[in-house]
Amino acid sequence: MPESRETKARDIPAVAVSQTSTRVNKTGSWKYIRPRYRDRVAPCNARCPVGIDVEGYMNLVREGRIWEAEDLLLRENPMPAITGRVCDHPCEEACNRQGFDEPVAIHGVERYLGDLILEQPLPDHFKPWRTERIALVGSGPAGLACAYHLNRLGYGVTVFESDAQAGGMLRQGIPGYRLPRTVLDRQIEWFEAQGIEIRCGEGIGDGVDWESLSEFAAVFLATGAHSSRAAGMVDEEGPGVRPGLEFLRDVNRGQIPILGLRVAVIGGGNTAMDCARTARRLGSEVTVVYRRTRAEMPAIAAEIEEAEREGVTFRFLAAPRAALRENGVLTGIACTPMELGPPDDSGRRRPIPSETEQEFLLELDSVLTAIGETPDLGFLPDPLKPRWGTFEVGPLNAVTGESPDLDTAEGPLSGPTMVFAGGDVAEQPRTVAHALGAGKRAALGIDRALHVARGRAPEDWDPAGFTFGPEGNVSITQYRRDDPIRREDPLNEVVEAEDLNPEHFQKVPRHSDWHLRPDDALQDFSEANRGLLPDQALEEAQRCFNCGVCNGCELCLIYCPDFAISRRADGGFTIDMDYCKGCGICAEECPRGAIVMTQEGV
Amino acid sequence: MKKVMMGNHAVSWGVSLARAEVVSAYPITPQTQIVEELSEMCSDGRLDARFIKVESEHSAMAACIGASATGARTFTATSSQGLALMHEVLHWAAGGRLPIVMADINRAMAPGWNIWTDQNDSLSQRDTGWIQLYCETNQEVLDTTVQAFKLAEAVDLPVMLILDAFFLSHTSEPVDVPDQDAVDRFLPPRQARFKLDTQDPHAFGALVRPDAYMEMRWHQHQAMDLARTTLDEIAEEWNGEFGRNWPAVESYRAADAELILVTSGTITSTARHVVDQRRDRGERVGLVKVKMFRPFPTDVLRKVLAGPRRVAVLDRNISPGHGGIFAEEIRSALYDLPLDDRPLLFGYVLGLGGRDVTPAVIDDIIEQTRVGARAEREDLWVGVNP
Repeated sequence: MPESRETKARDIPAVAVSQTSTRVNKTGSWKYIRPRYRDRVAPCNARCPVGIDVEGYMNLVREGRIWEAEDLLLRENPMPAITGRVCDHPCEEACNRQGFDEPVAIHGVERYLGDLILEQPLPDHFKPWRTERIALVGSGPAGLACAYHLNRLGYGVTVFESDAQAGGMLRQGIPGYRLPRTVLDRQIEWFEAQGIEIRCGEGIGDGVDWESLSEFAAVFLATGAHSSRAAGMVDEEGPGVRPGLEFLRDVNRGQIPILGLRVAVIGGGNTAMDCARTARRLGSEVTVVYRRTRAEMPAIAAEIEEAEREGVTFRFLAAPRAALRENGVLTGIACTPMELGPPDDSGRRRPIPSETEQEFLLELDSVLTAIGETPDLGFLPDPLKPRWGTFEVGPLNAVTGESPDLDTAEGPLSGPTMVFAGGDVAEQPRTVAHALGAGKRAALGIDRALHVARGRAPEDWDPAGFTFGPEGNVSITQYRRDDPIRREDPLNEVVEAEDLNPEHFQKVPRHSDWHLRPDDALQDFSEANRGLLPDQALEEAQRCFNCGVCNGCELCLIYCPDFAISRRADGGFTIDMDYCKGCGICAEECPRGAIVMTQEGV
Repeated sequence: MKKVMMGNHAVSWGVSLARAEVVSAYPITPQTQIVEELSEMCSDGRLDARFIKVESEHSAMAACIGASATGARTFTATSSQGLALMHEVLHWAAGGRLPIVMADINRAMAPGWNIWTDQNDSLSQRDTGWIQLYCETNQEVLDTTVQAFKLAEAVDLPVMLILDAFFLSHTSEPVDVPDQDAVDRFLPPRQARFKLDTQDPHAFGALVRPDAYMEMRWHQHQAMDLARTTLDEIAEEWNGEFGRNWPAVESYRAADAELILVTSGTITSTARHVVDQRRDRGERVGLVKVKMFRPFPTDVLRKVLAGPRRVAVLDRNISPGHGGIFAEEIRSALYDLPLDDRPLLFGYVLGLGGRDVTPAVIDDIIEQTRVGARAEREDLWVGVNP
């Protein structure tokens, strides 16, 4: 380029540019509302009975920080390899991706992390630093969860288990094709390695005296519900008819009963599905007899689908009236046809006998009843026995209250006085996830009660500080006020789909679990659902919206018209309030609703 | 490397060779293929540029203004109604002295709704302060695209690169694609004089009081004057490197002509063909092609058109209530010539909304121009049904 032209061009002043920096003009003084990054509650977290920070570990997996994801998951959930398999994942029903494309396969990611954890060398012994020891009665998910969390809070723990092997309903109730024994055994080993003492074959009132538990500072009761309710058939007692749970327990112990070819399972819950699919694996033709219709079945939907795939047939709107026997051998059952009447207390339509259809017979060799279980709490002293079969507990699962000198209505207690209860012995949906949540709540309740007993209760012990979501989930991370990854002043407000900005998301199909073909699955008790491949699990974490929590996507920084937002060294963002005009574009554009606008001076 | 490509893709290739850093655009027929190709170039890595999708042409230009203010080499493309929607921000680009390059595919303004070519869209933006360059062939389109960035950055003014809808935009021709290294030597990275820098924030285009505003306009006008000669210098430099010359005004067999046709855009090629035929018959007919419309090449036009001859200006545009716009401007450019040197000028309005301008139409114009004593009107409409 000729020099002259360039020089000439450069002589001409170009544009209206201020001589001084515009920093002197603090446009932030104009605002009357200001943005603030504030963590809110992702719907998956809100709906998780365990109180897992699902959003949090999804984000860590997305960033490839797998070890930290495992750590975060383990803070709230002691057995992700198990819940990843058997939980009915209400988190996915709540997932905000639902209305966008399909929910994130959260269970697949959880299972992936859970398996990674169990594949690693066993953890070190976790030495308690507190003097108090806590007794846990029952080694099911509730008891183990409570023991695990107490152990991490510094207490020595002893778990009493009446059965010869630990695991409670995980071992006795859930069949191996849903939860392989290798996984369960490794999980128990993993708990024991950390210093959780499990005394098998030592049930309370069955080797161990209730009074002797007085040496423990507190007791958590989690003995589950193992007594089957009768189906209410005429001649139910007798050969050929037996409780389904008992049947499952036998099979899980390796004692294979002879069912015969034609088997009916009575009931529509998860135990019924477990019985039906187990009986199929033993070679029987199985019919599930249920009083209502498929829509009212309380079993996990995926379990019903898998049962169907495996050839289980369903007889809906049928109530077994009587067991029929010839020469003391079961020949079948007589069933009353039903129809659905008005809704009952549970909100489901109540089945009533049909006025038009005739009673019918089912020819059978065996009947398994699975219409519900109740706790057996005969070992407890009378004042502690719950009036209606299950405990009514406080928000942190206390039975006797949090004060050790509290009297019950029946008079002063003998033996241990600080009693908590959870899992199937307390009033709640009977799932593994609810049991784990109850164990965690009780651990916090016990820790808090012992602090009170020591006269060293922290001042800000308001449970609101560690409770989140409408269902009263608790977070250990929030409870432990010194935890470095504790969320700072989160807003206890569940993020709805309309709080998100879907314009910034792309549709990505959900990965499905890999299932054995039904013909192969029925050959033996090997695991029927093989979960996701590792890459698929990682991709599912990428699909997470991270509802209500900043994941550093930088869209706020890009959209801020005042360049008032900058990135901090720790990965978070700072808003320069001297220049933020309070326009709200950052909050509007934030894909995940992690920025809230607040009024100035409020 | 020779490639057969449409005019639209010649623009895309030119933008890619110029190593544009930011492209922001909104689709509109017949331009869309330009930015489609560019978006593919961005996505597959052939072009290392940020492609910004927007919701309107106004936003497209606004994004270009912001990007260009930070010192980035910036491009967009549009047509017709889209260009009209940009109008407000076109002033900001020029007044902000931002060297943005934009391709405008000449398409008639609605209503009646029309996607075919005429020049009213770009000529409506005459006074926004943009340099305007009209192209005749796909080769000229590609070459001019690269040159436009050099021109824009030399004088800190935006450049509108203009080609006819379909006759160029969608017509394939063999195009010689220059070597990237050679283009890089011709067009080094942009060195911005002023940069919008969030670390050192200043107010750009803020309130300017009457005492200074007029100086700004004077400087802008001076830069336009400079652009007028700079284009020819750049064209010559290109010619030296690549052997093709695209001056602001091309005079073709016109030096001794008794009758000169003045054209722009693709009509030029047709006129060139007619001139050759007439010359073969010994008639002294010539052609002047106006590539540069803003800044207006008054000096050259006075030189090439002066003399006791007849001039027919072919306008594919209309300023309603006056006449063809090129004719108006040329007429006023020639007014200062001594009376003896002032040619007799006829302004023809033709080809609006894509109506074909064939050799026969141009033959008729030559005959009409040859016999007319003096134009009865300044706007002679060709081929309309009265």
